[in-house]
Amino acid sequence: MRCVLCRQLVQITWTLPVILGQRRLRVPQLCAACLRTFAPIVVATACPGCGRADSPTLCVDCQRWARQGALLHHRALFSYNAAMKAFIQQYKGLGDWRLHTAFQAQLVPPVSGVIVPLTSEPAHFIARGFDPVLGLFAHLSLHLWLQKTDTSTPQAQKNRAGRLATPQSFSVRSGVVFGRTRRVILVDDLYTTGRTLYHAAAALRMAGFRGEITSFSLIR
Amino acid sequence: MWYSGMQLLDTEVDFDSSVAQAVPGLADGHCQRCGQSALVQLPSGDYYCPHCINLGRVTSRTTLYRFPAPQLPSVEWPLTWKGQLTAQQTAVAAALVASLQAGRDHLLWAVTGAGKTEILFPAIATVLAAGGRVGVAAPRLDVVRELAPRLQVAFAHTAMAIRYGGAPWPQRTVALTVLTTHQLLRYHQAFDLLVIDENDAFPFAHDPALWHAVSAASRGPKLWLSATPPTRLRQAAQRGTMGLSILARRFHGHPLPVPRIRIQALHLPQRIAPQLIRQLQQILMTHQCLLFVPDIAWLAPLTQQLQTAITTAIAGVHAADAQRAEKVAAFRQGRLRLLVTTTILERGVTIPRCAVVVLGADSARFDAAALIQMAGRAGRSADSPDDPVWFYARHDTLALHQAIRTIRQLNAR
Ligand SMILES: [Zn+2]
Ligand SMILES: [Zn+2]
Ligand SMILES: [Zn+2]
Repeated sequence: MRCVLCRQLVQITWTLPVILGQRRLRVPQLCAACLRTFAPIVVATACPGCGRADSPTLCVDCQRWARQGALLHHRALFSYNAAMKAFIQQYKGLGDWRLHTAFQAQLVPPVSGVIVPLTSEPAHFIARGFDPVLGLFAHLSLHLWLQKTDTSTPQAQKNRAGRLATPQSFSVRSGVVFGRTRRVILVDDLYTTGRTLYHAAAALRMAGFRGEITSFSLIR
Repeated sequence: MWYSGMQLLDTEVDFDSSVAQAVPGLADGHCQRCGQSALVQLPSGDYYCPHCINLGRVTSRTTLYRFPAPQLPSVEWPLTWKGQLTAQQTAVAAALVASLQAGRDHLLWAVTGAGKTEILFPAIATVLAAGGRVGVAAPRLDVVRELAPRLQVAFAHTAMAIRYGGAPWPQRTVALTVLTTHQLLRYHQAFDLLVIDENDAFPFAHDPALWHAVSAASRGPKLWLSATPPTRLRQAAQRGTMGLSILARRFHGHPLPVPRIRIQALHLPQRIAPQLIRQLQQILMTHQCLLFVPDIAWLAPLTQQLQTAITTAIAGVHAADAQRAEKVAAFRQGRLRLLVTTTILERGVTIPRCAVVVLGADSARFDAAALIQMAGRAGRSADSPDDPVWFYARHDTLALHQAIRTIRQLNAR
């Protein structure tokens, strides 16, 4: 097994439960040296709302969201440091699909529920040839309940105010049946202002979903 | 046209491309830019080339525009360099021109510090005078940055462009292009003379795409410059399919410093032994020192310990270091006395009175070529041709002995 970032050989640790087949082996896709360059968010000191690092009490952004309605409980694995920016640039920017497995050993939602990815808009899929979020979470069983219509400017090219003013572009696909689903976990690559995830949650509510909605992302 | 001889992606071309030849980015299972065949399939069903993706992705939907590079008007002898070549340098320079005129490749096997750049001038001038286009490629940006101003001074009236990743596009027609080896992938049939400097350097030796790039970018003879040529070139030279010149002496005429090996069980990088610290202190009394380490993870712990143990300006630097240029410049100016570094900085650094210490010299990451190159950073100036060079290793390795044998052979010539 070679590290998907630096192509060095990766050591696999065979623990007893794995050998006995009691636990599934999660093959690490990144070598220890590459993994060290990313900055994991410590849950104990993260914002109870959006999960950003070093904010033990509800952060200012989340206070604003809370005033506008229900607060989304979000968890993220890593902060957006230089190494993570470089990763996103290679994966989403250059379009290096090989990297989509990089974090599959880490990307496991903290709670159980129906996992609903925030898919990219059709124009972006055509340009990239893949959906970056579906790629990152491809090792999980996903429910494609949401669809996104094409918008004019990509989120990445907007400033904060511009992002927050983005209109709703998510809707629930026709034919989706929520059934007795108690909890939905929205998954995305990056939580920046939260606008996209709050829109996605609103789309589910609009379509009549009454259960719990939480969210999970690689980066905050 | 500034894009003469270039091959650009449709996403890079936002101007009239009607003169260009349009080819599909991928054809017959090969990337048409880098020649590699290990393509990756996307969920959409298309393929892309992962090998050269850092220059912008080539997919099955990509069109590659190849711009012709027409002959330029001939000019008067363009060399404005006023220096003098030694008798030995003159003989080699003449051999290069002879190979050039015979239309064959040439290998210049020269020790570091032999004045290789000046030897190239007559050959480059010959091609430029006839209206040809010349490319000078070096593996790394810092070497390109060192080379470019010297070439511009030597060919003061020649339009020159510098190409590296992230460089602004040139805005005019140029006859001389100085570029990183990777950027050769953006050229097609562009150069009537292509000089490949220090071609054994990482990452060239092990990258088939760069060999492909060299042959695709040139349409005339290639001049390979190296202190430690790869077997493939040496064999071609021995078979006579390529010209060969060997320059074993530095321009100051002194032999290369022969490295001394010290076999010692060192617990690096966690703990630096006191005797190593004493040795470094002694070196630093008279010299600056380059301390090479095999692993980027060694940099921080070693630099920290040295900064506590030795009272002088010390820094650690690696290839991706954001302050790399500043640190190297500070070392060149003597503001830093000890630079802890990975192999990435080994070439293109010329400092008078500079000792070299290689830690972990038995590491698999250091082959004989890398060891010779690191040792070659020492003894480059005429007033200190015998700067000390130490290889610290836990075990003897074949590479260590190959390196020392090669240096002795070159010195004996
Ligand atoms: Zn790695
Ligand atoms: Zn928050
Ligand atoms: Zn390619």
